[in-house]
Amino acid sequence: MMNAKLSRRQLLGGVGAVLGVAFLPGCASFPVIPKRPSPDTRAALGWISHHSGHYRMTLPRVEMGQQITTALKQIACDELGIGPERLGVRQHATHTIGRVRATVGSESIMDFALPLARACATLRLAIEGGHPGGRLQAVDIPQEKLRSFSSQAQWVGRSSILEQGLEIVTGQPLFASDVRLPGLVFGRVLRAPMPPEVPSRPLTLEEQAARNVPGFISIVRSEVLRMASSEGIGIVARTPAALDRVEQALNIRWTIDGAADAEAIHRAIDIDRRMSDRATREHHVHEDSLPDGRWDVDLRIDIPIAAHAAIEPRVAVAQPTDAGGLDLWVGSQDVFYQRDVVCRRLGLAEDKVRVHGCRVGGAFGGKTLSTVETEAAVLAHATRVPVKVQWTRTQEFVQAFHRPPSSHRVRVRLENGRLAHWSHDFASSHILFTGAVVPAWMQKITDVIGDDGVARGATLPYRTHARRTGFDLVRLPVHTGPWRGLGAGPNVFVIESAIDECARMAGTDPVTFRLQHLDEPRLRRVLEQAVGSAPPAPGSVAGLRQGRGVACGIYKKTSFAAVVADVVVDPASGQVRVLQMHCAHDCGRVINPDQVRAQCEGNMVWGLGMVLVEHWTGDARNFGESPIPRMSQLPRMSVHLVDHGEAPSGAGETAIVAAGAAIANAIRSATGWRLTQLPLRPETLQAHLRKGTP
Amino acid sequence: MQLRINDQTLGVPPEWHQDTLLHVLREALGLVGAKYGCGAGLCGACTVLLDGQPVRSCLTPVAAATGKAVLTVEGLASGGALHPVQQAWLSAAVPQCGYCQSGQIMATVALLRRSPRPTVAQIDEALEGHLCRCGTQPRLRAAIRQMTGGS
Repeated sequence: MMNAKLSRRQLLGGVGAVLGVAFLPGCASFPVIPKRPSPDTRAALGWISHHSGHYRMTLPRVEMGQQITTALKQIACDELGIGPERLGVRQHATHTIGRVRATVGSESIMDFALPLARACATLRLAIEGGHPGGRLQAVDIPQEKLRSFSSQAQWVGRSSILEQGLEIVTGQPLFASDVRLPGLVFGRVLRAPMPPEVPSRPLTLEEQAARNVPGFISIVRSEVLRMASSEGIGIVARTPAALDRVEQALNIRWTIDGAADAEAIHRAIDIDRRMSDRATREHHVHEDSLPDGRWDVDLRIDIPIAAHAAIEPRVAVAQPTDAGGLDLWVGSQDVFYQRDVVCRRLGLAEDKVRVHGCRVGGAFGGKTLSTVETEAAVLAHATRVPVKVQWTRTQEFVQAFHRPPSSHRVRVRLENGRLAHWSHDFASSHILFTGAVVPAWMQKITDVIGDDGVARGATLPYRTHARRTGFDLVRLPVHTGPWRGLGAGPNVFVIESAIDECARMAGTDPVTFRLQHLDEPRLRRVLEQAVGSAPPAPGSVAGLRQGRGVACGIYKKTSFAAVVADVVVDPASGQVRVLQMHCAHDCGRVINPDQVRAQCEGNMVWGLGMVLVEHWTGDARNFGESPIPRMSQLPRMSVHLVDHGEAPSGAGETAIVAAGAAIANAIRSATGWRLTQLPLRPETLQAHLRKGTP
Repeated sequence: MQLRINDQTLGVPPEWHQDTLLHVLREALGLVGAKYGCGAGLCGACTVLLDGQPVRSCLTPVAAATGKAVLTVEGLASGGALHPVQQAWLSAAVPQCGYCQSGQIMATVALLRRSPRPTVAQIDEALEGHLCRCGTQPRLRAAIRQMTGGS
């Protein structure tokens, strides 16, 4: 059995080798841990090549809409001294690049820009110096000598043509679902209509009826099709319609040992119940002791489960090779992890499986496990023909992992109009060590270590005399994992809601109040600039209440955002409309300004969705039951980029920390009512407004 | 069974006759622009034009498309030139992941045929049933306004 005394750094560093050494051979249930190599110049030399005047870059990241392809191409063009038409870019595959880690955490520019720039500069110098060809030696050229990091950059710092933009608007094949192969057939793995955390297995099925369906090819049973606690049965057919008919004819009845009851989930994480059971939490972010007594601000805030809801349901294509291996095409955030899992679960040698990364139709943290990839591999391996597996939207809502719910009690005492004591207790469910990556016995160990994803954003950026922030991790019968921003969206929502109340209690303007308590200069600056550059509040409309709200936050200590939101409320219905949102964003030196703006816009839409629209429940089967924001719900948006040349950091998730709270604070300003149960229910606001409380 | 798609007549192999127009386009005919997003007509990613009208091809039996003119995103460019909507999308850098965009583009083509200078309200109405998770909605509006002379 494993030595349980793993340090947090060892486990979270993802150092697979350490765990491998500690682990006894023969224990087959040990999970595949994603490896996370750090890119250096030597590795980066494997990303670019030159042949007869033309250059090629193999992208070391996964392209999922954040336009990392465009940004890295700009850096490469500056260092190589060429125009973009001379640099071809391809997505990476496990046989075309040295191992690269998952594309998560908004760290691509931060960690990959410098190695890429150095490698490209090395290549340029070699070509200029008449190098005869072959492999190059890595040279860690100082940053000051790099063109892409200098004010002479031609491409970096400008908004460049979107890579693959032409292919997107002309419908060219780009995604794994667009892969077509001779003899390709279609597969699906059927499971009980429950989250995979709930044990389930097939009880009865009508195999003969399924075999009689025209286009039927195979039923595949394999222990490898188990996902967490749910057993799956694979079906393969000639066309998608035949596949649907085979599923219907098979008519599987399932045995389900448990429930994913919404009431039970709510009770399990209910923070007030947990606080009355135990005064202290299992894990701490801040640990000052606080005296008992009255609180000036005391809020209970609950944030529900939410789905990723990328428009591309996850998809993979697997094709058996003559050598007894597999080729896979995947839409995954971690191409190498897919290879590792498929090899392990099918007992194939590493060199027998090649995984080709495709453009992903939205991921947001949700396409990080091996699901359709393993399913397609099993079905192709069993039938010996190429198989495409794309989850239905229903499977996405039922089987995928979602953002965990969280329940918060935040309490503050003020002294002379300033923050004195801050107390934040919350409960949530696992993000990084989810049930599908980590089996139950290992989850108990990781519980000891805590879960950085859950705690993200819970660090208080404001000065107080004393602060105590702690959380419990609760195992829930729903499948939870990383969602855009991880815990940062919910946790900073809570902090920024409470701070706003504190400002009101102190009788101080909410911006002034924040500035009175902020030391971090980049957060102060982004807040001031958001307010200073925001468009004027829209003119008032008779009969409607209007309000402006502000919020700010830090993402992973390195990126900063502040959002100003204007809302209008119809008191008769309690309906809230967001009229405009303005974001000031600081992610250091910007490679592509327009694309950073696009990420801010995307995060503002996610923040709006979190607060006004989204709530996944166990009976959600499609977008009707689990909606995401629609065109008419979305306001005018503007972005002000703050770039003082600091080291580049991430934009893919940052603004989500401030977007939702700015809206909640605007609603408070318009109506006097504090939104504490997400998403907003108009009837709740309407009831408050009818009571006439100011 | 034959279909008239992008001004070409294409045959549909017999084993595809029971499928939806979406899957026939994508898997039988290799026209992968229209996408599967939800299978229930709720997201718009599968939108193509049938006799000029936007339809959800994921809900359209392929037989229902016989005798009609099907227009997909692959059929918009002509003589090597992009359709103005495609060009506007690139000029405004609309797409992020791109998966929903062919549906957005087809809906916009249909909108502009009936309302060449649409108001914001008309744009919102035409694209209300087109979901985008990346958050390109502000740029969708901006691209259409730019094309049609709105501010």
